[in-house]
Amino acid sequence: MKRRALLRTGGALAGSLSLAGCSSLIETRAAGVPPIPEDRPDGVYYPGHVEGMAMAGMTTSGDYGVGLFYSYPHRFWNVNGDDVSLTEVESDDAVHLMASVWDPETETVLPDTGLSAEIYRDGSLVSQETIYPMLSQPMGFHYGANFGLEGDGTYSVRLSVGAMSTRRTGDFAGRFAEPTTVEIPFEYSESAKNDISFERFDERVTTPGAVDPMAMDALPNAFAPPESDLPGTVLGSGTSDDARLVVTALEAPPAGIDGDAAYLGVSARTRYNRMVIPAMGLSGSLTRDGETVYEGPFARTLDPDLGYHYGAVVDGVESGDDLTLSVDVQPQTARHEGYETAFGGLKGGMPDVTVRVA
Amino acid sequence: MPLDGDSDRSRRDVLKAAVAIGGASALSACLDRSSDDPVPTGDPDAKPSRQHAWRAHVGHDDHGNTQLPRHQILLYVDFAFDGPPSADDRDALAETLDALDRAYAWTNEGLLHSIAYSPAYFDRFDESLPAGIDLPEPTALSPFESPTFDRQDAVVHLASDRADALLEADRALRGEREAANGVTVRPLTDVATVDSRRTGFVGAGLPAQHQDAAGIPDSEPVPEASPLFMGFEAGFRGNQATEDYVTLESGPFAGGTTKVIANLRQRLDDWYEEQSYEERVMEMFSPGHAEDGLVEGVGDNLGDDSGIDRFVDALESDARTYGRVGHAQKAARANRDAEGNVRLLRRHFESTDDIGSDQQVASLHFPSLQRRVSEFEAVRRAMNGTDLTEVTPAIRQRVNNGILEYIFVRRRGNFLVPPRRHRALPTPRPD
Repeated sequence: MKRRALLRTGGALAGSLSLAGCSSLIETRAAGVPPIPEDRPDGVYYPGHVEGMAMAGMTTSGDYGVGLFYSYPHRFWNVNGDDVSLTEVESDDAVHLMASVWDPETETVLPDTGLSAEIYRDGSLVSQETIYPMLSQPMGFHYGANFGLEGDGTYSVRLSVGAMSTRRTGDFAGRFAEPTTVEIPFEYSESAKNDISFERFDERVTTPGAVDPMAMDALPNAFAPPESDLPGTVLGSGTSDDARLVVTALEAPPAGIDGDAAYLGVSARTRYNRMVIPAMGLSGSLTRDGETVYEGPFARTLDPDLGYHYGAVVDGVESGDDLTLSVDVQPQTARHEGYETAFGGLKGGMPDVTVRVA
Repeated sequence: MPLDGDSDRSRRDVLKAAVAIGGASALSACLDRSSDDPVPTGDPDAKPSRQHAWRAHVGHDDHGNTQLPRHQILLYVDFAFDGPPSADDRDALAETLDALDRAYAWTNEGLLHSIAYSPAYFDRFDESLPAGIDLPEPTALSPFESPTFDRQDAVVHLASDRADALLEADRALRGEREAANGVTVRPLTDVATVDSRRTGFVGAGLPAQHQDAAGIPDSEPVPEASPLFMGFEAGFRGNQATEDYVTLESGPFAGGTTKVIANLRQRLDDWYEEQSYEERVMEMFSPGHAEDGLVEGVGDNLGDDSGIDRFVDALESDARTYGRVGHAQKAARANRDAEGNVRLLRRHFESTDDIGSDQQVASLHFPSLQRRVSEFEAVRRAMNGTDLTEVTPAIRQRVNNGILEYIFVRRRGNFLVPPRRHRALPTPRPD
């Protein structure tokens, strides 16, 4: 699932990253961060600007690959249940720190691990926070927060990765079951930060669409598998507030789930960028000739082939069946600009998706 | 030490003196109290047979809730000898502890003290602890923590409302002075080295006084009335085990108990600045507490019981309805026996210790007494709410999941508190 470089500046590992593909105006950030656009559509849209990011470092520990990145402090929207609230940049915020956690063997990005960060300088505690899961257009799923720092210098960032409680299947069963802590040195200078790309999008702002995913060799991207790569038979898909739900049917559940009946897997991804949408509450009903043959939850599950998905064991799938999927809880991830009105979000509403089995 | 006004001069004098006699807790201690009243001396024969007997010897609030001694010190020690102790070692430690008994009355105005022993200490012996003693090595108790384990031989716990008494006892034990409250004390350091000294405080006023510590927002949000940094009372009588309940009933250690002590760093920026009071009530107690408006201010109106028991069954529906669950609500479900008795007696107190550094960082020392360490472990695991993260994604591993977002476990140790008669270097099966 690693996406190769589309366009890069700087070194492969530690350089600052730029976004690719969009026609945009590259300026210095000194010109100021554009305001939150007015008349945002209810769905994924081009934000007024997007900031690149630079890698602080990466490492591997146990079952986990962990990367640490930084950028300018960002405003973002926190999601708690139905509530979506703007977190503004505070005056003492120096950076937006981002962490990504993945399986080094398959390069699958792992949502739902839980993550906290401790920042030290010369052995002295600068900050410690539980970091929120987030979705951004260029990066997809990651953990992020704004932090204040104590000026230029060498920091040490300890990232504590929590064990996953999400159901794991296939070769993932039994993995990601222990927490780990890694320590990544972070060389910070304000001038290096100010070299990170900052792009404005004047014409496209608020039009439907998304800035392209960024790419770097070392960092696995948080893409959902292409439809053609999903195991089983893809029954169809539908879109709910720009969350695309692709349904595939397997003849038997992935190893680790009881039952020998059919298994329906729903792979949720963002419109345009195919980024995994984790942490939804999803339920569904399967009806046949007016009779309900399954009604219940689609459980959050991580599988090496299906990726992060929502799954349910059902008593067979037949031609003419209708599967109706309902998002009971919108994705519980904070949103970077351009995603805050989609997938529920500020404007709410994730309509049901119905797929008829051909 | 005079503390007679707000003038810069007297404050500066106090600070200088406090720093001179021993660090952060001394500072809080002296600012809190400087009584000229004599500290009451003790009668060794009048001491209770249980080292953990506090309730009848400390103050209570209007509702009968225990008021823990306001100043406390934990000395984690390693014994200087290899293998099992000799009779001389035992006599030396007994002499030290007996001297403390003579020096101080067993009250919050004098000194409460105890010594407890780790599994590592008992490993010095060939024989094992009796089967009825549940004292495992400490372990990680959540899917996201990696604490350093306190495996020192023993921990000495000192507690008093009188900071001056506490500091004298502490210094005498560490060999920095010869006498405590006029009684010559053989230093603990004759048989042990102090590996870690941890200090703290609890009670209305003290957390507010110390809220300049890192981890607490600059807005100084900790209410004056709060006994703890998080802004609420805790340890209501109805939600605590009795001392009788946590006391071992049979075997050579009858009259003793087990003690788990954790140290947690607190990061309260988001607790106070991202959340409303109602949200804090939800996360500390339960969503029902907020919905029904049960808590006022720091929660003194709750009386002698937080009323948490009637909200335990609502956990899953609260998770779905509110996208939040309460800390007390989660813990309570594992903290009751079949008859509904509370299993743990919690005696946590605040600190600005940042173990391993000289920084002042908000933290919590969390001693808990129970008959079996596994009871503590069950309650701590229930507090993780891992099952609730499966009910709805709104409840995450540490977010919207009680207070887990704001507390970071750094240390944990398990200890056996022998009855007084066996407090000096007991064998695993004392006579």
